[in-house]
Amino acid sequence: MLLMSNTASAQSQTVDPTSGAVSWETQIHGVTLSLTQILPDQARAFYLNRGLPAVATEPYAKACVYMTILRNDSAPGVVQFRLEDWSVVSTDQSRPPLSVEEWLKRLEEYDLTQAAMIAFRWAQFPPEHAYQPGGDWNQGMLTTGLEADTVFNLVARWDVAGEPYQGVLRNVRCAP
Amino acid sequence: MFVVHPDRLKWVWILFGVWLLPAYADQPPLTYGLTPVQQPHTAPALRLPTMDDETIDIEALKGKVVVVNFWATWCPPCRREMPSLERLYQTSKEKGLVVLAVNIGEDIDTIFPFLGTVDPSPSFPILLDNDSHSLSEWKVRGLPTTFVVGPDGNLVYQAVGGREFNHPALLNQLLDLLKE
Repeated sequence: MLLMSNTASAQSQTVDPTSGAVSWETQIHGVTLSLTQILPDQARAFYLNRGLPAVATEPYAKACVYMTILRNDSAPGVVQFRLEDWSVVSTDQSRPPLSVEEWLKRLEEYDLTQAAMIAFRWAQFPPEHAYQPGGDWNQGMLTTGLEADTVFNLVARWDVAGEPYQGVLRNVRCAP
Repeated sequence: MFVVHPDRLKWVWILFGVWLLPAYADQPPLTYGLTPVQQPHTAPALRLPTMDDETIDIEALKGKVVVVNFWATWCPPCRREMPSLERLYQTSKEKGLVVLAVNIGEDIDTIFPFLGTVDPSPSFPILLDNDSHSLSEWKVRGLPTTFVVGPDGNLVYQAVGGREFNHPALLNQLLDLLKE
């Protein structure tokens, strides 16, 4: 049984005055979920500074990237999730976020240093995890693979003690 | 008077790749709970060089409470929790608490400048895991992740994500462990 969608939950939206990046956040079932746009120049700079060549960085920077946060504030138990169960829903498609494994496979064609590969891998939002109540959380990068300016809903799904839950961020926009 | 135009400031953020660190006010709060490990078991092996080119083996630290923190300089919550980790160390090291901060995949030339920006600057050992093998041994799935190893060498607490390590609630959990 799917316990609830978050149709009644509050969703906030803020804009960083320095970068112009937009953030969307919701609290639902004791869990905080947020997405913050990572502008293409920001994504390029982050990985160029960590040794990735421009040719490897460019497809990633254009893949509609978000800094993603999921935190178990007060869920009724351990929050367990897999990104492959989440959905990025736009007008013409519904699919999971692009996977870390897919990006790592794409990067194999470049002769990256170990340090660059490690930074890339571990800067991504975890593909799966279990967050204990009372404050376990992660912050990491997530790619939707959508075009610039595309509007979509993110449906995040997780289990607590075998019961499914979900939270939705609506009308999220890819950075220009 | 020299005034930095906001547009120029934006490019400083971008060029240095520190975009993940906007004003702290925009960052999510650090939390302060340690989760007890349901079935305490022997901590995985951890034997790594430090920035001073010494080798630390957690096996040699039995009898002490050891906080093992996995981190990297590009990880925003890792950076934010580092001052509180030092405060924890300063207040508890005389009581038998050891802090080991395991850096993942970076070199001294990258780590050292960052440590100079931390206030208070870490005085606990920074261990270097160049190939990130410790992450799989300790079953870490995201950074930062912190474990607490009890005097008997068993894993007793864990914390996923950034913490305020000198928060009274967290401090009390560790002080209770130090009394055992």
